[in-house]
Amino acid sequence: MLDKLKGGGFTGYLNFIFPSSSGILFFEGGKLISALHELDKARLSGFEAIAELSNQILAGGGSLSVYRLSKDLVMGLHALLHGEVLFKGQELKLIDIKGLLEKMKVRQLNGCLRIYTEDRSALIFYKEGAPLGFFHDGSNDIETSASESQKIAGLPGAKIDVLSTKSADELMLYDLLEMVNIDKIWDSTKIRYTAQMEQLSKEAQERDSVQQNERLRELEDDLKEVAVAYLGKVGRTLVDKELSERGGRDALLNAEEVTKFLAGVEKSSKLLTSLSKLKEMSDLMKNEIFNRVNG
Amino acid sequence: MELFADLTTISVIQVIFWFLAGVISFYFSIGNARIWTSISLGFFLIFISQAYLLAPWSDYPRLAAIHYIIGTVAIMVMTHGFQEYYVFSRTLETGGSKTFVYLGTLAVTLASAVFVFINPEPTYNVLRNIKMIENANWVFLSLINIDMIRKIYLQIRDSDIARGFIAFGAVFVCILLWKGSELYLQVFCWDSDWHLFMQSIGAYHNVDYPGRVNFSIMVNQVGGLLSGLSVGGTFIYLFRLLR
Repeated sequence: MLDKLKGGGFTGYLNFIFPSSSGILFFEGGKLISALHELDKARLSGFEAIAELSNQILAGGGSLSVYRLSKDLVMGLHALLHGEVLFKGQELKLIDIKGLLEKMKVRQLNGCLRIYTEDRSALIFYKEGAPLGFFHDGSNDIETSASESQKIAGLPGAKIDVLSTKSADELMLYDLLEMVNIDKIWDSTKIRYTAQMEQLSKEAQERDSVQQNERLRELEDDLKEVAVAYLGKVGRTLVDKELSERGGRDALLNAEEVTKFLAGVEKSSKLLTSLSKLKEMSDLMKNEIFNRVNG
Repeated sequence: MELFADLTTISVIQVIFWFLAGVISFYFSIGNARIWTSISLGFFLIFISQAYLLAPWSDYPRLAAIHYIIGTVAIMVMTHGFQEYYVFSRTLETGGSKTFVYLGTLAVTLASAVFVFINPEPTYNVLRNIKMIENANWVFLSLINIDMIRKIYLQIRDSDIARGFIAFGAVFVCILLWKGSELYLQVFCWDSDWHLFMQSIGAYHNVDYPGRVNFSIMVNQVGGLLSGLSVGGTFIYLFRLLR
């Protein structure tokens, strides 16, 4: 897919959403200009982000959205995610906003201004010091009007982050697809992931086996208790014998072996107790096995 | 009435109870394991061996000999059953088939009958010898069975059937007294058969120890009666336990 995007000169971004993380790949003119992966507060970029994205993709359960954007907007978003932080969480009322905008104009900054309160937020993308467009929560597109952003800026407690980045043309100079051997990353990740999965699967099997063995041990103990209640202590030995003749307590998982086990117990029990008690005991054992194995 | 001249009340009670034990034991072995079949068949054969007392042709020597032999086979089959039960109580293993028990017992009985018929008709003395062999078997195998029953009881003492084995133990104690006292009288030639034999050849036989003889006869009668009662009671009890 990356080759296709590269070949098609794609500009925009790929947004990956995974159960516990997210990732973004920025493309500009078919070049992968940046990669970002976020897990909680940990951020990875570049090679590491691509490697982690490969991991997450292999783990499955994620979704991918592909957005085609203008070159400038990609730059703005790049600034938002990767840009150098000039100001972070500054209270707007403490800042000379006019002076700040003037400074941006003079320095011909490319980047993004994020204005936010607890409930609202707005983005202003800049290109060479001039506002490129406005984006705020609730809008579906870049707007040319600053009115909504100004409203948010006027809200009490509004804060501002100022992030700058390289120009779109400079960003174009980077192409992670050229710099990084994606195929190799993918393959090695795949091998590592498969190995991890196999290990996990093996551990899970061992865990299941231990749990199942524990469940069967409890079932065997209970069957012995039932036998002791109806036949006396010889009942315990009888259950032991019948199970060992069928290869141990694992036989309780096999319907055919269970039938043989119960028939063996019944045969010997005829010499130890009454037919009515024998039937009662046999039914109890049968139900106990059925409920525990299928329950 | 002459045919039943030797028949006493005790004998009648004995035969009735042995019959009861025989019938229940047969019923008991139906649908049950082979071990019970051996034990049950043994008890049923005692009835057969005792029933000759009621048979009008019991004075026919060959038939009397066969009855004594059946009595011997009875204790052997029964002992075999208890031995198998003991093995079962230790290993919980049961094997073999009922048919083999029935056919085996029938084969031994028929072979004994053939043996009796191809040989000269038994005299009183020969019959007495056969009876002694029967009594000796009963005495020693009863002792073995008492020990076996004790061991079985220790293995299964907290199961339902355990009390049934105590009853079996009591039965064999009674049988030991019954058959043992008769064997004692026979060994010292104080039994009625020896007396008849001596009479038949015109000899005089003086009994020097009348006290011991009378006591043994009493033990024989009481033991016989109690063994009949106890075996009937044991099977009724077992029937209730295993119903």
